[in-house]
Amino acid sequence: MKDVLDTLEGWNAEGLRFATATVVKIERSAPLGPGAVLAVSEKGEVAGSVTGGCVEPAVYEEAQEVLAGGPPRLVSYGIADEEAFEVGLPCGGTVHIFLGMGRRDLIDELAAAVKDERPVALATEITGSEIGTQRLVELDGHFEAAIEGDTFFLPFAPRPEMYVFGAVDHAAAIGRMGKFLGYRVTICDARARFATRERFPDVDEVVVQWPDEFLRGTPVDERTAICVLTHDHKFDVPLLKVALETPAGYIGAMGAKRTTESRNERLRAEGVTDEQLARIHAPIGLRIGSRTPEEVAVAVAAEIVATRRKAAVAA
Amino acid sequence: MRPADVLIRAGELASAGEPFALATVVNVRRPASARRGDRAVVTADGAVYGWVGGSCSEPAVVREALAALGDGESRLISTEGSCASKGAVEILVEAQLPAPLLAIIGESPAAETLARLAVGIDWRVTRELHEDSDAVVVATMGRGDEEALAAALAGPAGYVGLVASRKRADAVAATLRSAGLEEDALARLKAPAGLDLGPIRQEEVAVAILAELVAWRHASTPAAPPPEEAVDPVCGMTVSLASAETHVHDGTTYAFCCVGCRARFEADPARYAVIGA
Repeated sequence: MKDVLDTLEGWNAEGLRFATATVVKIERSAPLGPGAVLAVSEKGEVAGSVTGGCVEPAVYEEAQEVLAGGPPRLVSYGIADEEAFEVGLPCGGTVHIFLGMGRRDLIDELAAAVKDERPVALATEITGSEIGTQRLVELDGHFEAAIEGDTFFLPFAPRPEMYVFGAVDHAAAIGRMGKFLGYRVTICDARARFATRERFPDVDEVVVQWPDEFLRGTPVDERTAICVLTHDHKFDVPLLKVALETPAGYIGAMGAKRTTESRNERLRAEGVTDEQLARIHAPIGLRIGSRTPEEVAVAVAAEIVATRRKAAVAA
Repeated sequence: MRPADVLIRAGELASAGEPFALATVVNVRRPASARRGDRAVVTADGAVYGWVGGSCSEPAVVREALAALGDGESRLISTEGSCASKGAVEILVEAQLPAPLLAIIGESPAAETLARLAVGIDWRVTRELHEDSDAVVVATMGRGDEEALAAALAGPAGYVGLVASRKRADAVAATLRSAGLEEDALARLKAPAGLDLGPIRQEEVAVAILAELVAWRHASTPAAPPPEEAVDPVCGMTVSLASAETHVHDGTTYAFCCVGCRARFEADPARYAVIGA
């Protein structure tokens, strides 16, 4: 829904009413997941998408009915495999879509929260006697869209954090991929000469501080990705020790096999268990034969994606 | 020629997307005519621009440069033993190949994203099928996947991928098979495209494909045949036929590292012809 917020704010400013169609559940596979939104203004303008083209015409008709005063409704589109093939949908599956009028006051509030990176969720009653009512609630750590009882919760989580330690060329490349994956990227290095804004114009923040000290004082949650590129035991060992005390979803460390082994020895000497060591992805990134820093960044991004998908499946 | 001219020439070739090798003298044992830091550019036709030593090293440099352009690997060579003088030089020959060409077919969010990111890992990107495409990714989201794939698989592209779910990918492959596409062409098809990173989101598909392209680029074996080589019958050096001095004797072509060797051969062919034959 984030993708249509700007448009909805614009319609609000013009005083236009609008209906929204929201994917609340998918079965098997569908082009877009829960939380995908198609909005239709009273002038007939369209923003967003719920399936990438297949059921949009039908959804548009439903939205017109809602705009004309019809009741909010939950509709389902079974995309039979044969049919999917006919219309060229990339996959079969079933989508459940909720349609209702947009609460114009909520949209502005939601847009402000998203802009300030405050964790909120849009709660919509999609079944039951209160069907169609909406409110904003505080987000309590659930980052995936979900139906609970009659309510569909659409989370608007602040961007997850990516901390990259070591102000080297690889950091710039990994930072760029991190931004692409939706992270708020911070690069940290103890050396002021290297950790400069000029060298890393693409990331959100550049911090000059001892890495372990910085990590100890900064928020880390399950979605946080930590990339250790300092490549020097003096920095790596205390930093990884702190990282392993956090719930970070991804911890990767640069260093060839020998470096990794000697670093692990030192970490064990510091009381780190083998089980904890297994959380560290080292050498950092999937083995895809990367040569340039940009290619290493792709390997790291792929590893992060695989790790967080695995975590999502396990949850 | 100023020392910087070689680098300027290298820059021009790189900008033009021409393959070349950059040869740099990294070590010298005197007596030798080259000095550490001397450089030359070698183009795919075997032409040398710059100076990395005379006839003792140039033929070897050309030979290794052409080999480097074939397999993409840089190498360190030594002229030890191939020089009349007791000197020797070590030369780093670096392959500078143009970025591979990725054709992305289709207009979809996945296609747009991939096009943007692929440039970042040094691929040239085109939005239509070119016959010299090294890799092709089809992401029409069902608006002509089969046609685009059939066209791509008919060409020489080493990587051909389809953006689709597993189920749809299998269906497309079945359609292509029943349409009579050869099994070895189908074997080149990656469907769905991208490393298997688990059940990933739409926007993450681009990352999975990029990772697969990186893996493919560095694992792919060179398609170019090794350049033709011959042994100089006078001094015994292996030389590349593309750049060698040659002389035809009794219907056989002999190759030489330099005009000096050729002159010695011409003065007494019988003495050397057996060795070279």
